[in-house]
Amino acid sequence: MNNEEILTLAEQIVKSWDWKTEVSRSQPNQLDVNILNLEQFVPIVVGLRVKRLGYLSAIVGLDLGREANQLEVLYYFCEQSSMIVLHLRIPRQNARIPSLCEVIPSAEVFERELREMFGIEITGLKTIEYLYLPEDWPDGVFPMRKDADLTMVTAQTGKV
Amino acid sequence: MENKITSESFTIPMGPQHPALKEPGHFQFTVDGEIVTRAYVRLGYAHRGIEKAAESRNWVQDLYLLERVCGICSHIHSFAYCLAVEQLAHVEAPPRAQAIRVLVAELERIHSHFLWMGVSAHEAGFDTLFMYSWRDRETVMDILEGLTGNRVNYSANILGGVKFDVDDVQAASIRKGLDFLEERTNHYLQVLGKDAMFLQRTRGIGVMTRAQAEVLGAVGPTARASNVMRDMRVTAPYSAYRQFSIRMMLDSRGDLEARFQVRVQELLESIRLIRQILDNLPQGELSVHLPRRIPAGEAAVRLEAPRGEVFYYIKSNGTDKPERLKVRTPTICNLNSVIRLAVGHQLADVPMILAGIDPCFSCNDRMVTLADERDGSERLMTWSELRQHGIDFYKQAAK
Repeated sequence: MNNEEILTLAEQIVKSWDWKTEVSRSQPNQLDVNILNLEQFVPIVVGLRVKRLGYLSAIVGLDLGREANQLEVLYYFCEQSSMIVLHLRIPRQNARIPSLCEVIPSAEVFERELREMFGIEITGLKTIEYLYLPEDWPDGVFPMRKDADLTMVTAQTGKV
Repeated sequence: MENKITSESFTIPMGPQHPALKEPGHFQFTVDGEIVTRAYVRLGYAHRGIEKAAESRNWVQDLYLLERVCGICSHIHSFAYCLAVEQLAHVEAPPRAQAIRVLVAELERIHSHFLWMGVSAHEAGFDTLFMYSWRDRETVMDILEGLTGNRVNYSANILGGVKFDVDDVQAASIRKGLDFLEERTNHYLQVLGKDAMFLQRTRGIGVMTRAQAEVLGAVGPTARASNVMRDMRVTAPYSAYRQFSIRMMLDSRGDLEARFQVRVQELLESIRLIRQILDNLPQGELSVHLPRRIPAGEAAVRLEAPRGEVFYYIKSNGTDKPERLKVRTPTICNLNSVIRLAVGHQLADVPMILAGIDPCFSCNDRMVTLADERDGSERLMTWSELRQHGIDFYKQAAK
């Protein structure tokens, strides 16, 4: 399959699962999929897996800031030079998304990172110990959030 | 680290500190007798918050920050960062600059693979190979120093191009060094494939099938040794790899021996590519101008670091600082996969299995606690003792 075929097939899978799903091409080799309903997320990933469309290259968390009051999670599925990017948007309070570990075991470390850095609860994630943060890290401080209180770090080093 | 004791097995923590990588690891192995029954990783002992720090520095400062993500493959990080920023700014580095970037990237791969060969030979108790491969590695370190002025953190990249040119005198000295390295690499290829003591530690050990490698998300030489076609230089060529193509090295065996063979053959392929670049270095400028403020947008790039695919995501909000920067290094993918392979193996094989993915992990001593559930005793073991245990175990087996 070439890039175009991969992206077209991915678009078909996503559209056939839920025709309302928004799809766009921000780059020639990239398909951006906005997942509107969290319940659709895991089935769509299963669909991509069944067709062997890409492996999970990375999960990127984004804090869209206090005004937007949203967090965004990007799932990069890559095959050859094409990328299928699933976008999830969730509110900053009580952020919760489903885990992909049942479908993609290698998602575990990415999800653990996302959980501790952004404070997003991952439903179904079995290992919830810190992966990167120290054991004495204060509860409720999620360092990659834009408004994270990092005084405990700055007190030691003087800067972030 | 506390030891969790379960009813019939020992828990062996290994780790954590290692200063050279973003991912130093603490490993905890539960063993039943000699067989590993559970493996667990804990990272973060040298987590420096680089992603967060990048958000409060400007685009130029971040270049120097990101070059310091890794002390071994520093060039690939600044390479990835530059590519992503250039993509956001809609500029492309001049062809000569792109060729020089790839040239340094391949030299870095040679240095990294030689370093790894030494470390894993040491883990296997094959210290002669360790010493020789590190001696030979000095050749490529000297080339890099002559070219860039630094043995590590070469600082070859600037946003929009590279900092230095390669002249004929330098090209000649690189070629001379490569001739020596090629001869040595061919020698190692023979040694690693024939030495009976070494094969005992590598052949059939830590086997990862193609399906496992795909499901567990292995990348780089670790994946290619399991016949997974994953090499960004070939499958998603970037920068000068579009002009200078490279062959992907694959092996279907999936064991430690295959990982050795793939990496050593990659050395030969890198040497070939560097010669080709030197012969066909495009003429022209070394850099183009980039604005201080980068237009708003998102860019994701994937490059082939010595250890596998490195992923960079950058989001710009149109100011002189990035809004978000995400780095996903190859070791996190490979650790995740190989740690599962340790289950079912002899404890004696653990050092080699870990060294086999090139996590840059095993060069300093670390404490290992052996907790004996049956008589309640506890003893401490250093990493080097565990390594020795592996060597002795196979010496006994050979008798």
